[in-house]
Amino acid sequence: MIDDESMVALIRATIPDAQVQIWDRTGTMDHFDVLIRSSAFAGKSLLDRHRLVEKAVKPARDDGRIHALAIRTDLLES
Amino acid sequence: MSDPIRSEIDREIADNTILVYGKGTKDAPQCGFTLETIQFFNAFGYPFEVINVLENMPKRAALSEMTDWPTLPKVFIKGQFFGDTDILGPMAHNGELQAVLDDAFAGRNIKPTIQLR
Repeated sequence: MIDDESMVALIRATIPDAQVQIWDRTGTMDHFDVLIRSSAFAGKSLLDRHRLVEKAVKPARDDGRIHALAIRTDLLES
Repeated sequence: MSDPIRSEIDREIADNTILVYGKGTKDAPQCGFTLETIQFFNAFGYPFEVINVLENMPKRAALSEMTDWPTLPKVFIKGQFFGDTDILGPMAHNGELQAVLDDAFAGRNIKPTIQLR
């Protein structure tokens, strides 16, 4: 279980300019959809964008705070 | 290449044009994303295989390492890694995936049973 603020902080620790939208899919605060906009996605394939996001949330994956995460990314023009 | 887990994975990827490593089986998926991936490929109508690695931690670790992708399911098409439906969904939407699948099954006389509009 993770609240929105902690999730955003976690993502921004790796992707500082991330604009994050979070949807709690199940009301249990551990299954989420996220939409992340960032300039860090420039020149990255969809696979690499998702690898970057997964790297950011890894601590919460590892300790079980996030059980499921569907990721969408959008390039933020800088 | 003497690693038996890696050899097993290589063989499975070579044997299945569309291969999903997931949690549970086609008939009894044990994870929402695995179910979603099965439904996704059902809609395309091409044959695909699901291999259940839920309980097989060494194999999951080997798969994560070789793909640099920590989560399940993991989808391979003609030997190439495509992540999950977060990747495949947008690719289906812009037509890219149809081209990948047409190429993967080209000359194999396998036609999809359902055509997407």
